[in-house]
Amino acid sequence: MPVTVEIPKERWTGSIREVTLGATAEQGGTRAKTVTVGGETTLPFLHFEGEMPHTPIVGIEVQDSYPADWSPVLLAAWGDVLNDPAAWAKKAEEIGADVIMLKVRGADADGNATSPEQAAAVIQSVLQATGLPIIVRGPGQAELDNKLLVAVAEAAPGERLALGLCEDKNYRTIVAAALAHDHLVVASSPIDVNLAKQLNILISDMRLPLERVLMDPTTGALGYGIEYSYSVMERLRVAALTGDGMTQQPMVCFVGEESWRQKESRTAEGVPAEWGDIEKRGITWEIATATALLESGADIVVLRHPETVDVVHETISKLMAH
Amino acid sequence: MSRYIATRALRGANLIVKEFDAQLQKALAELGPDKEVQFTNTAYYLPTILGYTGMSVETIGGLKPVLDHCRGLLHSPPENRTWLPYLGETLDAGVATLLAEEGIMAIRFANGQEPQRMPGLELTGTSAPSDTGYMNGPIDDIQLRSWGIQLVDGRMPGFAAIIGKAKTNEAAVEIVRQLQRRNILIFLSGNVNGRSIIHQLMEEGVEMGYDTYIVPFGLDTISTVYPMGFATRSALTFGGMKGGQTREILLYNKYRVFAFALALGEVDDLKYATAAGAITYGFPVIADTVIPEIRPTGITQYEHVISMPWDDIEGQTDAEKAARFVQQAIEVRGVKIKITEVPVPVPYGSAFEGERVRKADMRVEFGGKYSRCFEYLRMVGLDDVEDHKIEVIGPGFEDVEEGGAIDLGILVEVAGRKMQEDFEPVLERQIHYFINGASGIQHIGQRDIAWIRISKGATDKGFDLKHFGEILYARFHGDFGAIVDKVQVKLITEPELHAEWLEKARTAFDYRNQRLAEMTDEAVGEFYSCTLCQSFAPDHICVVSPERLGLCGAYNWLDCKASFQINPTGPNQPIPKGNAIDAWTGVFDNVNEFVQQGSHGAVDTVTMYSIMEYPMTSCGCFECIMMILPMCNGFMIVSREDPSMTPAGMTFSTLAGMAGGGLQTPGVLGIGKYFIISNKFIRADGGLKRIVWMSSFLKETMAEELKEAAIRAGDPDLIDKIADERVATTEDEVLAFLEESGHPALTMEPLM
Ligand code: SF4
Repeated sequence: MPVTVEIPKERWTGSIREVTLGATAEQGGTRAKTVTVGGETTLPFLHFEGEMPHTPIVGIEVQDSYPADWSPVLLAAWGDVLNDPAAWAKKAEEIGADVIMLKVRGADADGNATSPEQAAAVIQSVLQATGLPIIVRGPGQAELDNKLLVAVAEAAPGERLALGLCEDKNYRTIVAAALAHDHLVVASSPIDVNLAKQLNILISDMRLPLERVLMDPTTGALGYGIEYSYSVMERLRVAALTGDGMTQQPMVCFVGEESWRQKESRTAEGVPAEWGDIEKRGITWEIATATALLESGADIVVLRHPETVDVVHETISKLMAH
Repeated sequence: MSRYIATRALRGANLIVKEFDAQLQKALAELGPDKEVQFTNTAYYLPTILGYTGMSVETIGGLKPVLDHCRGLLHSPPENRTWLPYLGETLDAGVATLLAEEGIMAIRFANGQEPQRMPGLELTGTSAPSDTGYMNGPIDDIQLRSWGIQLVDGRMPGFAAIIGKAKTNEAAVEIVRQLQRRNILIFLSGNVNGRSIIHQLMEEGVEMGYDTYIVPFGLDTISTVYPMGFATRSALTFGGMKGGQTREILLYNKYRVFAFALALGEVDDLKYATAAGAITYGFPVIADTVIPEIRPTGITQYEHVISMPWDDIEGQTDAEKAARFVQQAIEVRGVKIKITEVPVPVPYGSAFEGERVRKADMRVEFGGKYSRCFEYLRMVGLDDVEDHKIEVIGPGFEDVEEGGAIDLGILVEVAGRKMQEDFEPVLERQIHYFINGASGIQHIGQRDIAWIRISKGATDKGFDLKHFGEILYARFHGDFGAIVDKVQVKLITEPELHAEWLEKARTAFDYRNQRLAEMTDEAVGEFYSCTLCQSFAPDHICVVSPERLGLCGAYNWLDCKASFQINPTGPNQPIPKGNAIDAWTGVFDNVNEFVQQGSHGAVDTVTMYSIMEYPMTSCGCFECIMMILPMCNGFMIVSREDPSMTPAGMTFSTLAGMAGGGLQTPGVLGIGKYFIISNKFIRADGGLKRIVWMSSFLKETMAEELKEAAIRAGDPDLIDKIADERVATTEDEVLAFLEESGHPALTMEPLM
């Protein structure tokens, strides 16, 4: 006897905000194209239940100077371009990045501190080298971030860069710079629904439209607290879909940074033989982390290894097919 | 509204609009209507005009509608007999004045007369065509953005527009230095009988220009319109407004741009008129001469116009007077000063909080066995505190032998427009953490049983009594700036004064205790939420009332109230109680609604005073866990400090797994230990008389309080009738003990 099973559907009342990165010449910038993320009216990839109008996108991380501290697997994969952020960004675009994530490290491999002027020069050269929208992150120390990101914002007025990390400690300066020079911000809070929400409130209190705010819930890598990230992101998404206006920002996850920091992605020696080949292991680690975070609601995953980019793109297009 | 001010402002406005008219006609004739008008490097046209009217003026001809607009705003000066106290007309006149002034500036630009020439003036950093021989002229957009970021993020508290001439050159320098010290931008314009503060600063060799945050605009009052244009553009740039959104632009300035005007020297009609314009932005005016004041608030956040005649300001020197003058201006505007560093000669940070100073390493101690030390924080009026005044009254510890002790009293006096007497204990409790943050200093206790040790290492580095003051000053401003505007500290060692203040402090402590005791749930309109623990217990929410503190013991109702003032978007939000659904068990409709939302639908009803019916959930931070003992017809309370087996057959840590996690389990409850002595303690289930077993730790550490609670419960010997881990670790043993001691629970109504 044939049985008709009705698939239960959740009726969500809220939706994720649409956020557009980059600005074309017409819009006051110089980008060849812009990308829009967000707009979901259901949990990730539940196409039978609601809409996912924009495909989640892939960013590739580029650093402003040679990343001597990176895993040998990554250094080998990228080769010479690592010495030149412009060439690196160009290659990233060729490989298939949807956006570039430029990280300004704060100091070069020899320990020389980066000046605001240097940060400004780097963003200009990367803007020239690629037509993609750009996310720019500072070194991650509030005061240094302020100094360098303000210079970056000023050097690229109207480009609609996404400036980060904009945290509890320094959000005022980053938001002010975004307001002054027409950019977006990446609001970052430490794996906590209420803190993420509070930061969004504070940012919108400063009158930056929420259409210019991405949210970084802070993520852990596979094996390093990813289930915690998953649960927080899921709760943020559920809150957003149930109509909580202050949690409806698209989410960006810095997957490459987290996943390549772990021992499993870095160490070839002194580990059990059954861990297998270091290269394959590192890439798998990044893919697994990225996929899990996409499933928990990431709109942008920022990656490091060229091979991961291909696989993740393919995964996304399969998940989007319906 | 003072009629005097109204009259003079209206007169000034009429005059300047007439002047604008004359100059405009002349310019139309000489330069023609198509001649361009433009300020230096700005995308905001003539910004004040743009902001107020939405007109993008690009040519001389474009100024004609501006003139019409000005005329529409003008009213004739009030006549003696028909005058009504009407602020609106004066403010309109102020607006007309600013528009006319900016129009005149535009014409001057077209004539090549702006920025004004000023022989001998050198600027370090300017928008003027050259850095020598010119006033600055309007600030260009690049500088606006760069300062704007700092104004918006709070590194720069605000700007001061100084108009006129200071009483003396020394006064001029001191006023400017006082402002610079606070990172406040300084804009200069105007004169008195031809002499301007710009002359005074030039004569004294004060460096001016963007780099020193001092911007000279011009020798006339008209130049004051540049700061107003700067303010308007701030709102357009950082507030995302468009020209013509007048109300939004003005409110943005009122609430976000902390600017004020200092009128130095005689105030003429045009200055009154310009000041009226500044007031529309919410910028108050502080004069150093005798002028009528406008004290009531409204358009500005606090007072509108304040008069502080220079000669009447307290102080021996112009420097002292300047400090007071500027302080007053800052208060009237409500500018908040940020202090990021604690200026002490030893390392400082919360990492040092747990440090101990052993007797052998100790230079000197206050309190403990050999001396008395108290700390007392009180709220006083704004005029009774001199911000950052730190006094050591009496001898220092130089003459005390090594390892010795002397009496010390720490008296902290705070003032703030948002400060409340109820916050005194909340703030006072912080003294412990603040002082402990200094490396080499140990602080124990509070109130009149404080005990502080300074190590030899710290005194070797130069740590002194006054540094306690510096720490407290910096930290209270830094952490409680939202409620505290001014802080002064007295460190009292002088014996007579010490005794006197100790007495006063004790009276205050008694008063506070009493006030706390009187503070009941019925007496307040709102409870507070705490969602701090949602980071690990996502659906848990503590409802904190005067008679029930948070289950961690760290947050009582007053703490939550203060925390909400400091951080209005934070984890402590007021919950208006609403209607009592059941007053006895403590169910309120609004509380339920709040908990429903806060728990994301997991909990829809919660009682404040019951463990059996819809008890409050627990995150895991509880100081104590309560659990029903069915055979005994009562409850046990085990404290976190007690590792022993309980009659429930589980230890604290096993029980914690059951009680935590945000679940509602009737018969199990996590509590802060002071809830036990509250009159509302599980009132619906029979109160303290239902307690049949309690960790001896609680009995001992809270002996006094428990005894009083027992008396209030009508059974003075109750505590002795309650079993503890020394006499009973199984329910049978508890029951046997209860029967012997004659515990009331055995004859109470059955729980189940
Ligand atoms: S346990 Fe304490 S910190 Fe946690 S939510 Fe309750 S009151 Fe707040």
